[in-house]
Amino acid sequence: MNARDETPANATASAGRASAVRPQEPSKARSTLVWIALLLVFAGAAFLSDARWSQIIGIFTDGGKYLVLMAEGLFQNPLQEPQSEQWTLAFERMMESVYMAWVGTLLGALISVPFGFLAARNVSGPVTVQVTRAFLNLIRAVPELVFAIVIMLPIFGFGPLAGALALGVGAVGTLGKLTAEALEGIDAGPVEAGQASGASRWSILRWAYWTQVLPEVLAFWLYRFEINIRASAVLGVIGAGGIGSLLSQLFGQREWEQIGITLAVVIIVTIGVDAISGAIRHRIIAGSGRSVSTEEKAEATV
Amino acid sequence: MSTSTLAGSRADADRRPRRPPPSKGVIAALVVAAAFTVWAGREIGFTLRDLAENFANGWVVIQQFLSPNWSFIFRVWDAWVETIAIAVISTCVGVIVGLVFAFMASRVTNRSGPGYRVMKLVLSVIRSLPDIAYVLIFVALVGIGSLAGILALIMFNIGIAAKLTAETIDAVDQGPLEAADAAGSGTFSRGRWAVLPQIMPNYLSYCLYIFELNIRASVIIGIAGGGGIGQVIDVQFSRFAYENVAAITVAIFVIVLVIDQLSQYLRRRFV
Repeated sequence: MNARDETPANATASAGRASAVRPQEPSKARSTLVWIALLLVFAGAAFLSDARWSQIIGIFTDGGKYLVLMAEGLFQNPLQEPQSEQWTLAFERMMESVYMAWVGTLLGALISVPFGFLAARNVSGPVTVQVTRAFLNLIRAVPELVFAIVIMLPIFGFGPLAGALALGVGAVGTLGKLTAEALEGIDAGPVEAGQASGASRWSILRWAYWTQVLPEVLAFWLYRFEINIRASAVLGVIGAGGIGSLLSQLFGQREWEQIGITLAVVIIVTIGVDAISGAIRHRIIAGSGRSVSTEEKAEATV
Repeated sequence: MSTSTLAGSRADADRRPRRPPPSKGVIAALVVAAAFTVWAGREIGFTLRDLAENFANGWVVIQQFLSPNWSFIFRVWDAWVETIAIAVISTCVGVIVGLVFAFMASRVTNRSGPGYRVMKLVLSVIRSLPDIAYVLIFVALVGIGSLAGILALIMFNIGIAAKLTAETIDAVDQGPLEAADAAGSGTFSRGRWAVLPQIMPNYLSYCLYIFELNIRASVIIGIAGGGGIGQVIDVQFSRFAYENVAAITVAIFVIVLVIDQLSQYLRRRFV
């Protein structure tokens, strides 16, 4: 028997005990207010966006029709004319996008390495770090599209080369920043060991800093390559070649059967390249000592 | 063999350990990468000669770009409002649908094997299409305008939000899950009370990140007819009015910077 139960106010006490079993729920006032505010912002945005909401019906009316057309293109014998030509054209243009992304990323990556060192606090002086970081942020803020139209197209003309260079310049900002952050996170031990054994500044940078960040930096490069394949499509629309040019041309002509084939090629090649690049990234990060877990393998292939 | 050479060679060996032979795998990978680079460079006609020959052409444009027409930023006020509104709507819808998809695409919350695999495949298909392809598709379906941009960004956001959140769900602490299972909770309440509270801080920071991405992407969606500030940029480019484009680029830079600072502040409070 509990001592409290002997008090005259038996009923209230047991009620009090019941509430002790189940603590009072915390007030929901704050979360309700946040939800109301979000809803108001959403409604305001829906009003201000100037979207013609009634046209959303087009998805259901035209969507089905176009899907059937795309499927017709897809499920015809791909070895027959004209489908075989369309498959080949889509594949060639997609590979052009992949090449564009590869060359651009590699170029940007190589340029980003010295900037990464200049922007790392444990390598360079405070003034250099600030100046380099501001420069990298500036590059990061400008979309690749702007680089392509303003700087690259007037000099290199329309074509994949201008696109690759625009992607490269764009990659310098992100990769430089990530490299700097990786350098700041290294273990100071090897650096001290190098200094204690009288190694030159260059040897310390090469063997104590660069060796430690190399796996991470390589993984960033590959990841950026995956992103740039998608970004190259945008540049294609303004005339940098690759899959973007083909897509915007096909959509202009409303060639739905060929659009179906082209989108299928985009999906297949992108997933394939992502899988290969993802598997290499996992391998680089995990190192040869640790085998890649089955879950990671599943992720890389799906 | 005399003793002195033996001692000498041992001293040598002691002083400097033998360099390990380079790994065959690494050499093979480097050779493949180099071959692919050469091939890719040839395919796209890589050359830097144009840089020397036509730099003057580019310099004219750059000079125009370096003298921005600031007043233009405010002249296209409604396009800015439209851009922000597009980003708000597509982020809200995209992250909510993405959250549901993320629960379906994680082994932790989706215990049906085939269902999980199908969802993973659907998500990688959604993510494999570039944002510009979605804009083109929706412009064809609902016409040019901000609605097409909103729908395209929603698809884009679903892919990113679902992937990031599903990876977070994979890594949750098992304790609450076991407690929920032991108490006999169903799939929904298990996800709502054992998983969601754990992933909430990360999820909210992904939402802010996606909002930032959408502001950046507004340039892209506008070029293909998705409304917002990108459409203004497209028009100004076709008129070669680079000083106006420069002003807009700087304004986007400032907006992204402000949102970045704001989301960093909010993230510190969530996480």
